[in-house]
Amino acid sequence: MKSRILILEDDDQLVRSYKEFFSDEGYEVDCAQEVEEAEALLAHFPYSLVITDLRLSKLGFSGLDFIKHVRQVSAQTRIIVLTGYSWPEIEAEALACKIDAFVKKPTQLQELADTIDMLIGVPA
Amino acid sequence: MKKSLIDIVLDPKKLSVVFQPIFRVEHQLEVYALEALVRGPAGTNIQRADILFDYVRRKKAEAEMDRSCLSAICSAALKVPSQLSINVNVHAWTLGCSAEFVDFFFKKLRNYNLRPERFTIEIVEHAPTCNVPELMDSIARLRDSGVSIALDDVGLGQSNYRMMLDCDPDYFKLDAYFARNLGADARRRAVVQSVVTLADAMDTLVVAEGIETPEDLVEVGRSGIELVQANILCPAMPIGELLVAGFRAPGSNRPGPMEVLAPEVKMSSTRLAKCVVP
Repeated sequence: MKSRILILEDDDQLVRSYKEFFSDEGYEVDCAQEVEEAEALLAHFPYSLVITDLRLSKLGFSGLDFIKHVRQVSAQTRIIVLTGYSWPEIEAEALACKIDAFVKKPTQLQELADTIDMLIGVPA
Repeated sequence: MKKSLIDIVLDPKKLSVVFQPIFRVEHQLEVYALEALVRGPAGTNIQRADILFDYVRRKKAEAEMDRSCLSAICSAALKVPSQLSINVNVHAWTLGCSAEFVDFFFKKLRNYNLRPERFTIEIVEHAPTCNVPELMDSIARLRDSGVSIALDDVGLGQSNYRMMLDCDPDYFKLDAYFARNLGADARRRAVVQSVVTLADAMDTLVVAEGIETPEDLVEVGRSGIELVQANILCPAMPIGELLVAGFRAPGSNRPGPMEVLAPEVKMSSTRLAKCVVP
């Protein structure tokens, strides 16, 4: 069975790129552009891994609230946080939520794929 | 400017409506009513109903969504045979905290030339109702116009005894959880029996939902429940497909109920008689 990953990202272009690339890599990919959408999906599907931007442009730092929510829902789901900003306090708070990896933007999709593979293994 | 997901979801034209028959256990499984079920916009993450409404509740947009669903349902209902009643899900929160919903409901029905007596409102409750007097007032206004009331998901969540007393529903919709493996589970049978006994005392009918096996269907019938709704009998479908399928599940070999849609049937209870569309 394919591993299922959830990506919370509000940039349309990035959403299209992620979906195409990680589907080709062999994952089931769901992309959500709102926190509530992501939370609804989390309640109904078992995700091996979640990728979230720390800051969602329209919603402030709701990426952090979302990370806390993921941890409440599932201690096993691995979390990768993407961020293009340097906010040490916010990053420290994210680390305190036991995220699994921090990836600075911009990043190559393959680099992100390698991080995912490291955390949940290469799809069969 | 790009539309947000909630704006897309609240557009009735982006929703699709399917109907699932509710059958009478006796009387050759005749179609008693249809429940209208809404699906989210095609191609989105929230096309599935459970995810759609989970998203809507998280956005605290239940009232707006109920209005949008009603619009979509009224449009689809034009193709439903006129002698069949239609069940529509509405959040208790909407009835209790959105005073204009009942006005909106009546206005929509008038616009589509649909009679209120054909409708049953299934009250769905996922959060404590904010304004019980307002809820009671909404229910009274609906009833005064001939609308029937059902309490959804009985046995789960907020559908508790207080709601049963306050709403005095015409139907209890017993959640699928309670019918599962009913034949082999004496404790489950005891719970179901208690709901049937309570319903009888309150002159309320019970609809058993989500029955998954013929054995559970037989057991539901034995427990005295008169109405069932189950994928094994007929899954939810767009109304056009439902009419072509004869209200039967694909591959089903049971007689189709099309010939018994007429409302003039023997009633097994006075309550049943009151609820059939005249």
